[in-house]
Amino acid sequence: MFILDPHTSVPIYQQLVDQVRRLVASGHLAPGDELPSVRDLAQEHTIHPMTISRAYGLLEADGTLERRRGKPMTVAPLRRNQTSVAARLKQIEPQMDALALSARQLELQETDVIGLLKKKLGAK
Amino acid sequence: MSDLAASAENLGKNIGNRTILRDISVQVRPGDVIGVIGKNGAGKTTLLETLLGLSPRSSGRSSVLGEDSLHLSAAVKQRIGFVPQQEELLPALTGRRQLALTGSFYRQWDQQLVDRLATEWEVPLDRRAQSLSGGEKQKLSTLFALGNRPDLLVLDEPVASLDPVARRRFLQQVLEIAADNTRAVIFSTHIVSDLERVANRIWILKDGQVIRDGDTDTIKESVTRLHIRSRNALPADLAIPGCLSMRRSADGLGLTAAVRDFSQSDTDALASRLDANIEREGLGLEDIFLELHA
Repeated sequence: MFILDPHTSVPIYQQLVDQVRRLVASGHLAPGDELPSVRDLAQEHTIHPMTISRAYGLLEADGTLERRRGKPMTVAPLRRNQTSVAARLKQIEPQMDALALSARQLELQETDVIGLLKKKLGAK
Repeated sequence: MSDLAASAENLGKNIGNRTILRDISVQVRPGDVIGVIGKNGAGKTTLLETLLGLSPRSSGRSSVLGEDSLHLSAAVKQRIGFVPQQEELLPALTGRRQLALTGSFYRQWDQQLVDRLATEWEVPLDRRAQSLSGGEKQKLSTLFALGNRPDLLVLDEPVASLDPVARRRFLQQVLEIAADNTRAVIFSTHIVSDLERVANRIWILKDGQVIRDGDTDTIKESVTRLHIRSRNALPADLAIPGCLSMRRSADGLGLTAAVRDFSQSDTDALASRLDANIEREGLGLEDIFLELHA
């Protein structure tokens, strides 16, 4: 379900957080879906359980996951409107930075890039 | 605190007038898997042996499962497992005989676990120890330390002669111990890649001192490599706070530096001061280890 590579510079807990967020955002994980237990995931990937717990804890704190007593972690119901536009924009900023950098390196015109982006956003 | 698996306070050790360990203060909590890394001669083996009281200390304190390391009761000794770097097997006895002998010293000996692991790890128990390969000997001596289901398991370079399959199985066993949250593991190694998986905490040992003690992810996030490129010549006397190593390009316009605890806003400030473009690169544990020894 997840690809966790200990040898890259991205800490393992961060890789797990990113992947869960992406799966939820893309709809591959739906509200109410259960996640593997800390112990199972730790054994499967030979990774210290605390690392998995830390990722789950962060995802719970930001409202992506939900913990119910005695039950596995589940994907929380969507609550899109509770996070401000500014906060959500901040989340997408790293990708924007990367896009801006590539656009400059390729010497693309601003209007061309924005035109293409508009098309992508409208395409859905 | 008595619920620590092990601890050291200002622990030091000299042999003659040579300092082997200097002012080490560390704690091991139940559930921890501590990875000790350091170059050859950094003091890894001495630290483990001094912590356990197998070798006398020169200053400070160390304790294991709530008791002073130098005065451990028989009850606490029963709860420790130690695998030395140099295995101490009896060459003329078979693994099975030696395990039975060792097991008889312990009140709690889990023969079922030992048998299961011996099969899983493919340890030939019916051959004399002297005829085993290096890896087989290492696996056998690890079985001795696991059989009493220790609350503190200490392993000195446990994986050096294991093949990748055996290493993965061994690491899974280490994690199984930690998953209880009541038991702890300390292991020293110079195979950094194993630690990135299983250790939740890392001690980096250099010249007898613990120069880094933190959780694995925090250590990973603490060191960054900056790739600086400017249109103007960079100042020859450029000083970057927290800089571990620096390499200049031949044309004087570029510079690569490893820095510690350098935030994004530090990076932005430096970029505008130098009128330069700076890219940040995260580093794996092995690179960090190399940079800290640059």
